[in-house]
Amino acid sequence: MPREAEPSLNEKQFVTQALQENLRLDGRQLDQYRPLEISFGDQYGVADVTLGKTRVLAKATAEVTVPYVDRPLDGIFTIATELSPMTSPAFEVNRPTETEVLLSRLLEKTVRRSGALDTESLCLVAGQKCWSVRVDVHVVSHDGGLTDAACVAVVGALRHFRKPDTSMEAGRLTVYTPAEREPVPLSWLHSPLCVTWSFFGDDGETAVLDATWLEEQVRVASCTVSLNKHGEICQIAKLGGTPVDAVALLQCTSVALVKVKEFSDLLDRRLAEDLKRRDKGGFMAELRAENDR
Amino acid sequence: MTVTTTAPQAALGVLPRSDGSAKYSHAGYTLTASVNGPIEAQRRDEHAYEAHVEVIVRPAAGVGGTRERHLESLLQSSLAQLILVKNFPRSLIQIVLQVEDSPENDYVNTKLVQASLNLAIMPALVQTAILALLSAGVPMRATATATAVAVVHQDGAKKTVVDPSPREVETARSVHVLAFTSHNGLLLAESEGDFTVGEWDDVYETAKGICCRAGPAKEGTAMVLDDEEASATDMRQFLRSTMESKVAADLHWK
Repeated sequence: MPREAEPSLNEKQFVTQALQENLRLDGRQLDQYRPLEISFGDQYGVADVTLGKTRVLAKATAEVTVPYVDRPLDGIFTIATELSPMTSPAFEVNRPTETEVLLSRLLEKTVRRSGALDTESLCLVAGQKCWSVRVDVHVVSHDGGLTDAACVAVVGALRHFRKPDTSMEAGRLTVYTPAEREPVPLSWLHSPLCVTWSFFGDDGETAVLDATWLEEQVRVASCTVSLNKHGEICQIAKLGGTPVDAVALLQCTSVALVKVKEFSDLLDRRLAEDLKRRDKGGFMAELRAENDR
Repeated sequence: MTVTTTAPQAALGVLPRSDGSAKYSHAGYTLTASVNGPIEAQRRDEHAYEAHVEVIVRPAAGVGGTRERHLESLLQSSLAQLILVKNFPRSLIQIVLQVEDSPENDYVNTKLVQASLNLAIMPALVQTAILALLSAGVPMRATATATAVAVVHQDGAKKTVVDPSPREVETARSVHVLAFTSHNGLLLAESEGDFTVGEWDDVYETAKGICCRAGPAKEGTAMVLDDEEASATDMRQFLRSTMESKVAADLHWK
């Protein structure tokens, strides 16, 4: 497969020098994101996130399976990330690249390990039946900021998702189809989101938010902070690169909180709009199986 | 959720980094396709005299399995007929089709891994691939249009349903997918289920009416269309108007 063309030396120098003068090629501020847009599909659990030219699609699905032997009371929750040749012909099918491994690892740490989805609520019959929730992340186009966009997409898809309703009667498990009973949402605990900082300059003194693909190729280090809107940090990942001053990192996390609050609000707003669009009112509302708390 | 039969919609050049791309939605299906080519082929795919056409179908959920591979092989053999592969020896034309949304059957809970063939998605795959190829400027012998037709037996009477919903596919006696080139040649004919030769002929005529209508009906022409045919979508006209609007937008500066 053809390799991606790397930016030339001149291009690299131009970007770095401009950033040192607090200028970005697309005219943004250093701590400014590209416009983030979230839309939901006709089906439940489909989220489409665009961040500038980056576009990520996430789809959540649920199936009844057998739980893991060592965790009989937990459901299964997986996030599958695969970069297809659609993103760039340099990516091959069934051959994960470093970008892909890092992306799935970060999403795993942010969403799965932070306990955003209550996996115990996915258990149907202890040790025998449970829900297996799977989120597929499709990167449609890649222009930097993949982690941040993918995280919003995964969280959006899971919060939008409705799994089929079930009931237990005399040891018999019934899974209702959407025609029989309105599907129910997942038990969602908090919404962790990622904010990625890129560092430029010899000592990584220039910190930049939401780097484009060109900037990502030039940066000397990057740091991904995952936190929710209450300021609870789920993980901080700084994988190699130039060492960065600790005080600068603290500054980064506080700015990240502001951004995460913005994204959370946007996500809440879009979900509410989608709910309103779907709400047929009247009889359908009566038929709903879940209780309002 | 009910699938409303609306007119097909398409957008070209939706992906910034691929040579050509298209987004297409019709009958509940939404797909995005990207085309890269001619690019360097891998050693194992390299043909000495022609370009290798690679089709990758990626489902919205789960990893692609046997049924995606089957759809890919059907598409590959059809599209390799259309693309002028002899023009690009030792190179690769890569077509990636990503399913974004497909209509769901409310009466069954969907399983992630399904062994059965999903024929109903085939027309959308063909249309999206063709639009993306046109967007990438890959030279082709002809364009193609495709449609799905189901034969449903209801209360003793049989009727043909164009663009069947998943529910109709499930209850149908037979499902057919037909694709025609812009020279009115039959490009692809896939059928599933029990049917007679007479039924297939009906299906063929219906599909031909949708895929191969001879231009928009002008006033004063002697063309007579019965009501049913006039209301159905005209795929060839759709393809033409999509390309026309794209070209008009691209040459706006002139």
